[in-house]
Amino acid sequence: MQWRRAHRYRDELTTRARQQAAVADLGQRALAGLPLDELIDQAVAALMRELDTDYVSVLELTGDRRGLSIRAGQGLPDGVIGGMLPPGRDELPGYTLESDQPLLIEDFAAETRFAPSPLQRDLEIASAVAAPIGTPGGRFGVLGASSRSAHRFTADDAHFVQAIANVIGAAAERARTDELVRDSEARFRELADTTPALMWMTDAEGHVTFVNQGWLRFTGRTLDEEIGDTFALSAHPEDRDDLRARWRESVGRRSEFRFEYRLKHHAGGHRWVLEVGTPRFARGEFVGYVGTATDIHERKGMEDALRESEASFRDLADTAPVMIWTTDERGLVTFVNAGWLRYTGTTLEEELGPSWSLGVHPDDAPAVISSWNEKLAAREPWEIEYRLRGKDGDYRWIVDRGVPRYEGGRFAGYVGTAIDIHERKTMEARLREVYEREHTIAETLQRSLLPERLPRIEGLEIAARYLPAGHGAAVGGDWYDALERADGRVALVVGDVVGHGLRAAAIMGQLRNAFRAYGLAEASPAEVMARVNRLVISGEEEAMATVLYLVLDRETGEVSFASAGHPPPLVLTSDGPEFLEGGRAVPVGAAEPGIFREATAVLPPGASLLLYTDGLVERRDTPLEQRLGDLAEAAGSGDGPLEALCDSVLARVLGQHVPTDDVALLAVRPRPVATGAMKLALPAEPESLTVLRRRLGRYLHAVEASDDVAYEVLLTVCEAAGNAIEHAYGPVDATFDVEVSFEHGTLVAVVRDRGSWRERRGKHRGRGLKIIEGLMDEVEVTSEPDGTVIRMRRRLAA
Amino acid sequence: VTSAEVAIERRGGAVVAHLSGEVDMTNSARVRDELLVSVPNDALSLVVDLDGCRYLDSAAIEVLFDLARRLGRRRQELRLVLAQSSPLVRVLTLTDVQSVAGLHETLDAALSQ
Repeated sequence: MQWRRAHRYRDELTTRARQQAAVADLGQRALAGLPLDELIDQAVAALMRELDTDYVSVLELTGDRRGLSIRAGQGLPDGVIGGMLPPGRDELPGYTLESDQPLLIEDFAAETRFAPSPLQRDLEIASAVAAPIGTPGGRFGVLGASSRSAHRFTADDAHFVQAIANVIGAAAERARTDELVRDSEARFRELADTTPALMWMTDAEGHVTFVNQGWLRFTGRTLDEEIGDTFALSAHPEDRDDLRARWRESVGRRSEFRFEYRLKHHAGGHRWVLEVGTPRFARGEFVGYVGTATDIHERKGMEDALRESEASFRDLADTAPVMIWTTDERGLVTFVNAGWLRYTGTTLEEELGPSWSLGVHPDDAPAVISSWNEKLAAREPWEIEYRLRGKDGDYRWIVDRGVPRYEGGRFAGYVGTAIDIHERKTMEARLREVYEREHTIAETLQRSLLPERLPRIEGLEIAARYLPAGHGAAVGGDWYDALERADGRVALVVGDVVGHGLRAAAIMGQLRNAFRAYGLAEASPAEVMARVNRLVISGEEEAMATVLYLVLDRETGEVSFASAGHPPPLVLTSDGPEFLEGGRAVPVGAAEPGIFREATAVLPPGASLLLYTDGLVERRDTPLEQRLGDLAEAAGSGDGPLEALCDSVLARVLGQHVPTDDVALLAVRPRPVATGAMKLALPAEPESLTVLRRRLGRYLHAVEASDDVAYEVLLTVCEAAGNAIEHAYGPVDATFDVEVSFEHGTLVAVVRDRGSWRERRGKHRGRGLKIIEGLMDEVEVTSEPDGTVIRMRRRLAA
Repeated sequence: VTSAEVAIERRGGAVVAHLSGEVDMTNSARVRDELLVSVPNDALSLVVDLDGCRYLDSAAIEVLFDLARRLGRRRQELRLVLAQSSPLVRVLTLTDVQSVAGLHETLDAALSQ
């Protein structure tokens, strides 16, 4: 067979899938670092293409927020781009800026909230969609599409415009952050080289990429000698192994690194330093450590000296370049050295006695006092970082440490040292700030790729939850999805992309679209997996994900599913919870050819099904088996509304525990089919016909109508409903009612609308009535005061 | 969501359109446009294969009449393929679609005529 040309007719569902793909594609480009100008141009092109409209424009709020400049667009007359529009909220652009959601204007003639912009008036725009770009606090501008014809756009189009606007917003924010990161690295090196502190940076593997002048002065080595895989080479031989072990442990967990050791000194010998390393992130991914080493040699020396004699200690203390103090056994200050007084600008008299909060920053004082009292009572070492006021009135960060001292075996109080760590704290704060911004951007992108809302699927109760990981963790790549296949079955997907950050979020978007596309085309879950796997393996980027893909027949409760390294779905029935085992294979993206298996099961009537990602069941301190057991116990028999079930499962499984990974949860339950009577009230719009057809199809299946009869009843009831929809004039929110009952082998259907039937319009409507009359045994049309009723009867027995 | 798919192939002088899924008033106009643009001027006939169709309503039937009318003006013929066992046959008969388009049991039968 020769296929010269293949047209694919795109219905609403594939339009949405295509729009999602366009968002994911743009997100991917944003992620790859496409310059903002080019990204905006591509966003405009995507809107023109997917919405097939007359005009698209991107407006950017000026720095003084007093105008909107037309930054980019298509279809616009020459010379418009670069012009300015007023940002007043009485016109669409300004109104959109203050809106927290996309706007759909079906017809400007009927719009009362605002007027079109002057440009839109010139172009004689009749309908439009517009979405704000950027967060409410940091608006970038407005993205809009408009058309000269009315009723050109749908609510889905408005969501699509918002998703594209979110990607532009994230990219604009990213452009700002990139500058900030560049700026902060440059400032870091500048700061690093002028500070007397010792500083260093590493890459993600832990190789040293930078040490500052202070470090080189201290060790007397050259930059070339310190760069590379040289970690711990400058440490005292006795400290090296411990230092390396601790370093590897911290790098593995990407946690803060803190260690005291002896560092080689240029004057010969070694000096004690405290090294603190903070993990760095860029674009949500771990890129290495930045750290400082603080000379604590005097502190160490002091602690030793004090063990010998109080007098020699005070002599030594006053010449030492660090801040030193002692207390008596009650915790009252008995001595501070000259270094302390030089820093604070206070006198010895002021400092002696119960002076613990003197000069401490008010925000830090409660923690300082309570920790001191606690350690003093237990006679344990005390260490805390806080802000202490200097003699010029400015607060600087110090690390203060006290150790108990004993005289002749008797507790005599504490000796303490304080070290200025202000540069280190400032730098940490700046890195954290950059990281927080990255986190926000990744979340924005991820949200724009998740379904805005779950689809309404006839005959299926459905609820979902998405919990981002706790504060400070990188955003994950979890997702869920549900879609109705052409064969009437429902496909459900839950997945988790390996990795974190923007990259994982973008891969998630691509995988979600791949599952949508293949899920519609392929009936077998294992085949869907295999095709997505092939797509991932052949892609340019390395990606891996665990996925659970399941197809559910709502009428029979039959499920078939495939698991790519994903935890098993949970079935909840009156007999209790049960995991669906089987159908297991390696994660998607792990091997090619991937061998995927599928398993089947049958849900008993009334059962619920829970799909989730491992953020819900994985915790370092508890074995997986036990966590699965906890989940099953928390879900129980799954009674009550699914929304409440989701909430209680999350509350009981996670408890007070903040998840360290993202959690996605999807719960579904086929609605039982009532065979007595079926009553529906539906909005008078063509889309209701699909809903009616699905519901009635289930009903006819339940009363065991043959295929022929089922089709004929579906058709006649929908024809009657089509009439009702066409005659629903007047109030905007018109509805129509359908009632179907089955008794003694005869089906009775009643369709009631709120309009009055007019003359038959053309042959088409005439044909509809002809079909109704031809296929039903009895038809009766009555005009009642508030509408028209059509009653139909059909014997179902063959 | 109502979904339908059209796949087009050229078989000699005929254009064959495999229509599958469901067609109702929400998507009938788009299906009609898709079918119309698939027929070039040099084609002798359009054969619409309805075997993959699970649902057609009166709007879909109207599309068939409209197609026959438009093709007729260009002296092109509309033929339909649908097995006699299909639930859809009775509706096509009832609306007298056969008066404007020949109904054939198989694709081969439609092409060999």
